[in-house]
Amino acid sequence: MIRFENVSFGYTRERETIKNLSFHIKKGEFVALIGANGAGKSTISRLTNGLLQPTGGHVYLNGKDTQTTPSSVLAKDCGFLFQNPDRQICENTVRDEIAFSMKAQGWPKDKIYEHVNAALETFSLDPEWFPFSRSRGERQRIALAGVLACEPGLLILDEPTTGLDYLECTHIMDYVTKLNQEKGITVLMVSHDMELVQSYARRVLVLNHGTLMGDGPTNQIMKDAPLLKSARVLPAQIPELALRFGDRFRDIYTVEGMFAALYSMNINVEEGD
Amino acid sequence: MNLLNYVPGDSFLHKLNPVIKLAAAFMYGVAAILCNNVLGEVGFIVLMILISYSSGLGDRAVRLTKTLIIIGMLMFVIQLLFVRSGDPLLVIAGFCVFTTGGLISALLLSLRVVAAMLPLMLLFAITQMNDLCNALVKKAHLPYRYAFIVTTAFRFVPIFTTEFHDIQDAQKARGVDFDTKNIIRKMQLIAPLCVPLLVSSLKKVDNSAMSAEMRGFALRTIKSGYKDYPFTWRDIAVVLVLAALIIFSVLFLK
Repeated sequence: MIRFENVSFGYTRERETIKNLSFHIKKGEFVALIGANGAGKSTISRLTNGLLQPTGGHVYLNGKDTQTTPSSVLAKDCGFLFQNPDRQICENTVRDEIAFSMKAQGWPKDKIYEHVNAALETFSLDPEWFPFSRSRGERQRIALAGVLACEPGLLILDEPTTGLDYLECTHIMDYVTKLNQEKGITVLMVSHDMELVQSYARRVLVLNHGTLMGDGPTNQIMKDAPLLKSARVLPAQIPELALRFGDRFRDIYTVEGMFAALYSMNINVEEGD
Repeated sequence: MNLLNYVPGDSFLHKLNPVIKLAAAFMYGVAAILCNNVLGEVGFIVLMILISYSSGLGDRAVRLTKTLIIIGMLMFVIQLLFVRSGDPLLVIAGFCVFTTGGLISALLLSLRVVAAMLPLMLLFAITQMNDLCNALVKKAHLPYRYAFIVTTAFRFVPIFTTEFHDIQDAQKARGVDFDTKNIIRKMQLIAPLCVPLLVSSLKKVDNSAMSAEMRGFALRTIKSGYKDYPFTWRDIAVVLVLAALIIFSVLFLK
């Protein structure tokens, strides 16, 4: 689905943000990109859909080279949810807003109508709302509805939950996970929120100063404290706990696993404490 | 945008009082406007570029002149086609396209635009907006509110530029093709760019107003500024020289 081959990229000629990076993401994966600020996470997400062109190497999306294919064509394969929904909302009603991407990509009218209605229902949005005056969480949901209505094969989430409350955040992420499992959509998520990565992603790429430090299943990466430390990332507390406990309590991420661990140390807790 | 950035320096021009810099730029412009002679206007432009070279801004002045000449060309074409005094110069199929009077007045006007604008544009290279704003408040007793509007407007330009690029990226990622050759389609694409920009600008303005209010903007008086901007012999000399230039322009460059 996504293939990076020795990709280098720099915003200025002197300093390279991405250095000789290669990785491959297969169809149907749920991948999280983590790293400190300035590690190159957002740059990678923008390289993937052709908003940025690599200065060295090649990026392939569905076998198409991003250097020779314009972003507007790549957009048909690749939905991109930005951190700030205000950058893309430009229509007067939620209905028009959701239809916008499909119109721009030249879909037939009856299909647009069908997809918009489905999206409105899934995200419980009112078609007549004025998008600009809705709350932050609702605007993010409108943006996501617009992206997903096009049924992209790949969904890129660039810090999708910044500024959302916990409930909105789980709403959005649960829906994305459902699409990932049921329809086989590939998801590439950029996030600072380790709890979120821990709960949803199945594979993690760790970045530091534009180089790939680690690549593996979420559980494995999250337990590797030296790796996370060298990448200047603070692991979520619960996996950190699991690491201290050793291999005995693999399931400590779950509530039951946590209870089991606590019981084993003769700490008696009741649910509700 | 970098044509209007501040260039740090320690030259004679940089050391002038900001109020005098503004006044001098205006006086130079007035002198150029009062001049009624094509060669005189060319002289004004060359003189300004030479002055810029003396304070290390020569490249900037040349680049600005080139940009202004493009604006001047527009004026040139309009004047050339609509001023109909003097003898016909170019006649095609019995229709007089332009005349000698038109040519001279077009040349004069376009050069005048360049000569009068150049010093004002160069003002930005030698003055920091904050200094100009503070000096205007202290010396010219302009209400701080208005001076603040001017500096803020300039400070927001680069912010809006990045915002505009981000919005363009966001719309590209949704499948909008900005490289289309179709002009009607291009016009339609202005809305998805401008609406988000307008919305985010209004929000930014609101937030800035609130943050200014929180930091006691309304309580500010002339005495709140720490820096003082005294007039020196340089300032007086510059004003006298420019006054002489205006008189010279009126008397000899008719």
